[in-house]
Amino acid sequence: MELTIDQRWDLVDRITKETVEVGAYKHTLKDAIADITVRPKTGIPFAIAVIYGFWMFFSTFAGFFTDGFLVKVFGDHYIPWLGSVFPGKGTWLFNIFAGNPAVFQPGYAGDICFEAGGVLTTGLFMPIAVVLPAIIAFYLVMAFLEDIGYLPRLAVLIDTVLHKIGLHGYAIVPTILSLGCNVPGVAATRALETRKQRFMMMVLLGVFVPCGAQIGMMQELIPEKIGFVFIALIIGYFVVGYILNKIWPGQSPEMLIDVPPYRMPTRGNVWRKTWMRTTSFLRVAVPFMLLGCVIVQLLYLTGGMAHLGHALSPVISGGFGLPQETVAPLVAGFLRKDLAVGLLGGIQLTGWQMFSSVVLLSVYFPCLATFVLMIKEQNAKEFGATLGVLAVTVFAYGGILRLIGMGLGVA
Amino acid sequence: MDKILLMGQANVGKSALFNRLTGARVIESNYPGTTVDYEKGRMLVDGEYVELVDVPGTFSLEPKDGAEEVAVRMLEEEKRATVICVLDASKIERGLYLVLEILERGYPVVVALNMWDVARDSKVKIDAKRLEQILGVPVVPTVAVQGEGIKQLVSRISEAAPVKVAGVIKRTGGEKWNSLLTRDGT
Repeated sequence: MELTIDQRWDLVDRITKETVEVGAYKHTLKDAIADITVRPKTGIPFAIAVIYGFWMFFSTFAGFFTDGFLVKVFGDHYIPWLGSVFPGKGTWLFNIFAGNPAVFQPGYAGDICFEAGGVLTTGLFMPIAVVLPAIIAFYLVMAFLEDIGYLPRLAVLIDTVLHKIGLHGYAIVPTILSLGCNVPGVAATRALETRKQRFMMMVLLGVFVPCGAQIGMMQELIPEKIGFVFIALIIGYFVVGYILNKIWPGQSPEMLIDVPPYRMPTRGNVWRKTWMRTTSFLRVAVPFMLLGCVIVQLLYLTGGMAHLGHALSPVISGGFGLPQETVAPLVAGFLRKDLAVGLLGGIQLTGWQMFSSVVLLSVYFPCLATFVLMIKEQNAKEFGATLGVLAVTVFAYGGILRLIGMGLGVA
Repeated sequence: MDKILLMGQANVGKSALFNRLTGARVIESNYPGTTVDYEKGRMLVDGEYVELVDVPGTFSLEPKDGAEEVAVRMLEEEKRATVICVLDASKIERGLYLVLEILERGYPVVVALNMWDVARDSKVKIDAKRLEQILGVPVVPTVAVQGEGIKQLVSRISEAAPVKVAGVIKRTGGEKWNSLLTRDGT
């Protein structure tokens, strides 16, 4: 027998009347906190404080392990040691595994960790010394925020702003997940209601949201400019969102979300999630990083990189005002964004060039893993449109940044 | 037994229950929509391994988003499955709606009244015995994150059997059930 919707609710009503007794409810401290965090007047300052706290923890934790410890281990001990014991200086094998022989000369003044470029030197330095501490810190805080139940509240607060681009507050959830890693972020778009919203969200995530690994790398290389990188990306997120919402057919209906009660996170679950996400990062990222290093070194050794740089120089140098050498990070960016940003550390760039390269690397292509997932989740038309948005965004950003740089007299 | 599906609204603790029952590790969080694809694991029921599926949260069997579509498709494909319906005990109404829908389709159901602790703290008292009597299926209070009630839930899975909704209506009592049955010409 099938009931109609009304009959079913009637029946639910009868059942609850017979079985549920609601006692006098006392307003608790938890409710007071819940109120403070969703009322705009108090909630917005609270949200800013939370994000600031998040950032402080992230940069302090990552800085402590990376700069305070691991950079010294790699830069002063491991990498020079490997360079001295690895056989066959001057052969291709040495270049691929240990890196550019020039950096192993005594008294070399540059940053050996980033500039060596070998699989066993820079290839291991980047994921283990720079990215690992960053993402552990990131995932720890994220697990805590997830479990305590803060994300839906953030969604409520930001709802009005996101409405302007045809998304609703819940879009903040995939966005924040993407700040950890774009792959689960893109997967989380399934919780959005319409195809249009899902498509828009995937584009915005893939193009404008840097992942934790990339953020960790940026924090190591350009800590003083990272705020501007975020501003550049946030502007793009809203501008492209606004345009897509206007031109892409489909509906963006209101979405009701359930705000769960605050709960004390259990230590077990926070650790378990951090552990699961970190190990999955290591499994996926490290092989890709190493592979990326091999490819880049091989392209250098065979002269392929020079050819590619030359061929693309009208765009890279002529259009964006960057040196040809940035073609290597662009190639690596197809595999992983953190690797791509890391490779910038091995190139001589002015401050402005560094800044625009980082921004361009962020917007120009989602990493391979995200790309594959997007192919799976989108139909042909949506995927074509995604590539279109990517191309337009890269050129728009490249051109605009150049103009700003020229206006400031730095490019 | 063929397969067991864990179903219920978003953010009622299906993933937490799944981890408890299978010893597996799926991501659990405190916001609706954590699980967007199904996850499979194995659990022991009366000494036998049975496949357990963590289904994305759904409000009803009329899907509204991609994750809910996955949930409804899952249920329709697994005609012989037993369903553990997970309810948020602090607000059972919406969960009951889904329970009724699943019962109407003829699936054997066990009800887990999860977040029993939250209900208790917010002074919601549920007569689980009476609910069990009315629904005609096992009803077990649980606190998945703490592991409370899990053993009892497992021990009662075998009691799950399809139930006629007409019977449920009848058991809600009195002469009033007639009006419900006859309204809209049913």
